[in-house]
Amino acid sequence: MMRRVLWLETEHPMQLVLGLTIWSLWFVTAYGGLSVVCALAPPAPEQGALTGINLVLGGLTLVTLGFLAWMTQRCMAAARRKRGRLRYMSALAGGLYLFSTVSVAFVGLPLLMLPPCL
Amino acid sequence: MSDTQAPGKHERSESAQLHRELEVVWRNPRGWRALTVVNHSTLGLRFMATGLAFFLIGGVLAMLIRAQLALPSQAFMTPDIYHQITTMHGTVMMFLFAIPVLEGLAIYLIPKMLGTRDLLCPRLTAFGYWCYLFGGIILLSSMALEMAPDSGWFMYTPLSSGEYSPGKGSDFWLLGITFVEISALSAGVELTVSILRTRADGMALHRMPLFAWYILVMALMIVVGFPPLIFGSVLLELERAAGMPFFIVEQGGDPILWQHLFWLFGHPEVYIIFLPAAGIVSTLLPVFARRPIVGYGWAVAAVIITGFISFGLWVHHMFTVGIPHLAQAFFSAASMLVAVPTAIQVFVWLATLWLGRPRMSLPMLWILGFLVIFVCGGLTGVMLALVPFDWQVHDTHFVVAHMHYVLVGGMFFPLMAGFVYWLPLVSGRMPSERLGRLGFWLTFLGFNLTFLIMHWTGLLGMPRRVYTYDSAMGWDIYNLISSVGGFMLSAGIAMVLLDLALHWRFGRPAPPNPWGADTLEWGLSMPPAPYNFASLPTIKSRHPLWDNPALGDEMARGEHALADASHGRREILGGEVLTGRVRERIHIPSNSWWPLFAALVLAVVCISLLVRLYPLALGAFLVAVAMLLRWAWENGGHPIAAPLGDDEPTSPPLHSRTRGGPARFTMGVSLIADGAFFHSLLFGWFYLWSVSPQWQLPEQSPLDPMLLIGAGIAFALGMLWLERRLRRLYAGDETRLALAFYLIAALGGLHVLLLVALLWQADLAPTDNAHDAVLVVSLAYLLVHGLLATLLMALQGRRAALGYVGVRLPMEPGVVALFWRYQLGIYAILAVSLGVLPRVIGGGA
Repeated sequence: MMRRVLWLETEHPMQLVLGLTIWSLWFVTAYGGLSVVCALAPPAPEQGALTGINLVLGGLTLVTLGFLAWMTQRCMAAARRKRGRLRYMSALAGGLYLFSTVSVAFVGLPLLMLPPCL
Repeated sequence: MSDTQAPGKHERSESAQLHRELEVVWRNPRGWRALTVVNHSTLGLRFMATGLAFFLIGGVLAMLIRAQLALPSQAFMTPDIYHQITTMHGTVMMFLFAIPVLEGLAIYLIPKMLGTRDLLCPRLTAFGYWCYLFGGIILLSSMALEMAPDSGWFMYTPLSSGEYSPGKGSDFWLLGITFVEISALSAGVELTVSILRTRADGMALHRMPLFAWYILVMALMIVVGFPPLIFGSVLLELERAAGMPFFIVEQGGDPILWQHLFWLFGHPEVYIIFLPAAGIVSTLLPVFARRPIVGYGWAVAAVIITGFISFGLWVHHMFTVGIPHLAQAFFSAASMLVAVPTAIQVFVWLATLWLGRPRMSLPMLWILGFLVIFVCGGLTGVMLALVPFDWQVHDTHFVVAHMHYVLVGGMFFPLMAGFVYWLPLVSGRMPSERLGRLGFWLTFLGFNLTFLIMHWTGLLGMPRRVYTYDSAMGWDIYNLISSVGGFMLSAGIAMVLLDLALHWRFGRPAPPNPWGADTLEWGLSMPPAPYNFASLPTIKSRHPLWDNPALGDEMARGEHALADASHGRREILGGEVLTGRVRERIHIPSNSWWPLFAALVLAVVCISLLVRLYPLALGAFLVAVAMLLRWAWENGGHPIAAPLGDDEPTSPPLHSRTRGGPARFTMGVSLIADGAFFHSLLFGWFYLWSVSPQWQLPEQSPLDPMLLIGAGIAFALGMLWLERRLRRLYAGDETRLALAFYLIAALGGLHVLLLVALLWQADLAPTDNAHDAVLVVSLAYLLVHGLLATLLMALQGRRAALGYVGVRLPMEPGVVALFWRYQLGIYAILAVSLGVLPRVIGGGA
């Protein structure tokens, strides 16, 4: 039987910070990656938003979105099943994951439209 | 009748005996020995009183600024003096008033709200206070010496660098503020750990008062947010004093690095100031609305979200420095997002008022003032998050007005509400409604007159930090109105101070729980005893006093936990983070001279660095380290703390007799702060490498790979051995424990020696180029940590030999092991970043 990972339990206090930590890491990677590429090998402005860095960061955004949405769903479902403190922790975690998901989508949206280094 | 009275008399006598015992153990000494006090109530009040004194100084500076700007072409002040005064006004208000006064409030209130007797690290509270006081005095002395900093409160390079600010002003700022920040970090660490680990029995996270949630997030934000500024200040002072060119483009540095480091701290700081104030609002509103807060979970989620998102906004202060549009769009979007959790809180407050039966008492007046002003400030914040608008009003008085709406509205008004609300707890008397209302209206109207008008002044193009202006610009009337408003605001604050002065003599005696509140602090005597609670309650809901109004009397009669002080220890309960269930009895230290002495010697370090007496600074630093280690020596099983005995409590046990006591949490949270400093260092390295136009990597890394690997292996072997000995200790085997610890320390010593050799052979030229300067700072960082790890391990060996560490006292080596793991981790990361990556990518990249 597969060993359960304790901190992936929906009521674990780690869930209160995990979603937003992932948002932070994604944010730093997006900004840092963009800055490094623009400093070392900026793509031509004529390419618009269709550049390698936009694609890579866009892919990373989709993967991050997928994981956060999955965790949102898990926590929300657990909150419906549980009672008392466990319900509270799962619901709170679900809300925080939902916000993290929306934040990644909202902040990542300009990747579809803007050239990276202009 | 007499039958029923007899037990009552007996109980009263037992209760009086309990209070006498507690008084002996917890009392504050008087006279000179009052300087040794470590009690959280006394220190919280000292923080707030000192903050008030600094606030008045900052306020006088503000009035000088408004006097100068009241009329065009004024010669009331020279440009030099004006720049010193604006810089010091911002610095004093942000660093010496706003943060310390809120920390003081939290230090005073948190143990009382959580149902405990003190914070977890009382000596750290005292140390933080003394660092704050001495740092503030050093900073302010620059004004008396007419050499105050004058580069603006955010000290942008190159204006603040040696070339353009050759005087001592910038040094006063950098050293003084860093000193004060030790205080903020101390408070951040101990508030975090105290909230997580010392709540009353049964106070699970979902039953914790909202104020404690706000302070928890604020404290963690301090822990993560302050180190970038400390790191930046260290770099800038090294550049000014030793010529290491971190911010000089021609030598491979970059002045924009300072802006990143400053705003990495600076923007979260706005929320570090706002969150406790919002916590006051969330605590008071339900009391005056006479119902539980609507959406407790929403408020908690909003606070946590704010804590994270506020770290993703720092570049919005830098929209005009030439950052790609896409990156600006990231930060613009994040800046808009942060309005969401703030709006959630506003709706939670409005819904609570809507569904409750609000009473319009004096604290509510200040809260309504807050709601009006802060919402306006928040809306102009959303306007500024839009890049094109920001470009238009950047560095104008519009931004000054916005900042004051957010900070004064978001912090000062709630602080005043809290001040009026908790005053009866401190003094046992009620505030004056009449004087209080007069003070509020003068402050509210004066504030809006000053800063609402200032938005127009800014939109008309008046830049900030100009010492005068020409009448032809058309700004005269707006500035005059702002100045009149500023003095009206001062009159309001004077009224509040008058109320405070009269309060102690003429205030009406307060009845028990005068506002009908639900939180535990109102179950205490007014003013509270030094030990707060004679016995510690069990919590079953979020509203203990609403559920059981007699709880205060029950606690005072000793009917709850820990109703015994005959052992002579200062004891509190330690609980599980999530559930609040009791795990251990924590014995905390009593009054001590060490915090004051250590802070005094650090003040000598600070002053020696200012006057560039480096040998004295080094000597004083070593003395300070020795004092801090001596302070740490008096812990655990030491005779001054809690020596081993035959009849020790076992259910729950004393914390020093367990493996996982709160000291591990304290070390863990301290390492988070250290890690934030380390990340700033890494950020600086990679930033300069990728962005600085003149950065040059040498063709070959100057770091010898054999020494780099050797130092790592020596430390890793020590680490592995330590882990193995820990497992054996926990299994009950303490044979030759002291010897093992000494040998592990010897491996740490070898690591340090190899690091010194690495630094020596690299033959770096840190004053010639930024690359070598960063290498020196990085290696120095590793050396300091390696030395400390070695020293701590050697001391563990000595403690094991003396019987202060062993099978019955297993806590401390686990705490030191955390530090060793940290050192190994950062060593590996730095070895790869400084030694391996440049070899892989190659020079000239």
